[in-house]
Amino acid sequence: MLAYQLRIAANSLRRTPVLSALLVAGIALGVAVATTFVTTFHVMASDPIPGKSRQLFYVQVDNWTPDRPWDRDRPEEPPDQLSWREVQNLLASDLPARQAASFKANLTVHPESREERPFRALTRVTRPDFFEMFEVPFLYGGPWDAAAEAARSPVVVLGEATNRRLFGGDDSVGRTVRIEDRPFTVLGVVAPWAPRPKFYDVTNGALQDPEELYVPLSLTPEMEIRSAGNTSNWKPWDGEEFADFLESESVWLQMWVELPTAQARQEYEDFLAAYVHEQQQVGRLTRPVNNRLRDVREWMTVSEVVPPEAKTMLIIGLLFLLVCSINLIGILLGKFLGRAPEVGVRRALGASRGSVFAQHLVECEVVALLGGAVGLALSTVTLRVLNRLFTEGAERELFTLDLTMLGAGVALALAAGIVAGAYPAWRICRVAPATYLKQQ
Amino acid sequence: MIDMDGVSKIYRTEHVETHALSTFTVSVESGEFVAVMGPSGSGKTTFLNVAGLLDVFDGGSYRLDGEDVSRLSDRAMSRIRNEKIGFIFQSFNLIPDLDVFDNVDVPLRYRGVGARERKSLIEEAVATVGLSSRLKHRPAQLSGGQQQRVAVARAIVGKPKLILADEPTGNLDSAMATEILTLLEEINAAGTTVVMVTHDPELAARAPRQIHMLDGRLMDFSRDVPAPLFDPSRPRLDPVLSV
Repeated sequence: MLAYQLRIAANSLRRTPVLSALLVAGIALGVAVATTFVTTFHVMASDPIPGKSRQLFYVQVDNWTPDRPWDRDRPEEPPDQLSWREVQNLLASDLPARQAASFKANLTVHPESREERPFRALTRVTRPDFFEMFEVPFLYGGPWDAAAEAARSPVVVLGEATNRRLFGGDDSVGRTVRIEDRPFTVLGVVAPWAPRPKFYDVTNGALQDPEELYVPLSLTPEMEIRSAGNTSNWKPWDGEEFADFLESESVWLQMWVELPTAQARQEYEDFLAAYVHEQQQVGRLTRPVNNRLRDVREWMTVSEVVPPEAKTMLIIGLLFLLVCSINLIGILLGKFLGRAPEVGVRRALGASRGSVFAQHLVECEVVALLGGAVGLALSTVTLRVLNRLFTEGAERELFTLDLTMLGAGVALALAAGIVAGAYPAWRICRVAPATYLKQQ
Repeated sequence: MIDMDGVSKIYRTEHVETHALSTFTVSVESGEFVAVMGPSGSGKTTFLNVAGLLDVFDGGSYRLDGEDVSRLSDRAMSRIRNEKIGFIFQSFNLIPDLDVFDNVDVPLRYRGVGARERKSLIEEAVATVGLSSRLKHRPAQLSGGQQQRVAVARAIVGKPKLILADEPTGNLDSAMATEILTLLEEINAAGTTVVMVTHDPELAARAPRQIHMLDGRLMDFSRDVPAPLFDPSRPRLDPVLSV
């Protein structure tokens, strides 16, 4: 029966091409806008590391001045990053299954080829646990080990694009690349990887691409690697040397711990509290104890990775689709009622109200699917524009219609078809067949 | 086949009530060919609509093919229309987008008949009305008589027990009208009950039995009828007898 109803729908659409085009355009416009905003929201709000997001915890310790909170608008919030001192002290704990402090830097890479000029590469300065904790995939080789970290070895993991740029995409493990003032040995090449959002460092742009180099955190003092991300402090540090900066209360590092069980989490929370008390005894961390241990989803929420505007736009997008659908009700009603004589004949020949309703709803859904297809095509264009606005020059596009979003687009189109078509279909199926049989 | 007892049908507007059928009682036996006559507004089409379950009635009872159809659901009525009744209308009521094959196909689609059986039934019905060579023609490509023959084919394709024809020759010239009536006679001869509304006394005269209606009431029969069909207590209106 569905095939028959589809045939009737196709006939009906062919009979009134202009009207059909208008209906399709109405749905297409609504679907394009709604899908665009649903996709942006989806990208921002999706779980970047499903299956593990409840085991990874972002560590916060309040080292701010006792005079004022770190965030005047949210006085209960501790600073969003940690100081070098905190990180060094906390990393001494063996409670977490894995732990990784890191920060974003901008290092200069000197290609072997003299034809290519040195370039600056965004770098994640971190510890070896980073890769396993965040399930970073490798194309070649792997990360450095704890011994290399402890020994401050000049080793590097390259991003796939940088490996392509430096070594033409070959397996570069064991080769040397000069970074800043020293040669680094390549230990691994990361496969294309773009967690959305970039949850491990939302303080420096949750929608940015991952970095293209990864070097040991222990090299920071020696190479005086400075943060290319946000650095906050509440007082100037004493001295002018980099070592003085490292000893300051400036916060500029992100720290994550992997705690697989509730017990492990509790133990680490106790450890943090004990640590703060200990620091208070030596005159630091003078604010009331305000440690936070938040899992990935909680941290995304607190950090407002999904800005309120995105939620507003999502609602506006869906409402726009609703308005488009409601506007089509009148057109469909006129179209369907104009076909009342034919419906009368079909009713006389055995079509029940239910089958007349279904037939007209199928027609609406055919319109909706056509509109949905056009709308999805339009939304790829609008998403491309958004990509240019948000992530110009990025290796990968941030907002794309993946299978989930394509499915969402189709579902939105079908829903719009039902909203637009249900009432007209109901009205036409209620038409008394006898009324029109004599009039034709 | 049709057994109506005291059926009434009232059309109401804000200010007016029109009694289209007033305690209408009639019986049509299986295999009969009945012509229904009467002036415009006498309730002929309303009777046909009620008989064909295209319209509901307000009072009385109606048994169709032995089944009480007074309080059926829409789905049940649709099923009966589809399986037991074939309709022929004055203005043919073919669907303009569909060719002959697809027009005749419509009732079979709602019955859920398989493709092969549908094809066979359609070809048989279209052959019966002599339009096998026009299967792919659309209604606009056919003459009025041919269109009505397609409508007849559509009415008989599901092999219904009852054909209800509402002025089937009203839009045709006399030759075409005779042709259609001959078709209906052949269908009736094959055992199908035919009830035909007509204004044409000559065509009506060819029906073995005529029913006359006036103001929603049954006025007289041109043939003898079984006793239960006629209510002797009801006054007879002589002027109609002269029709």
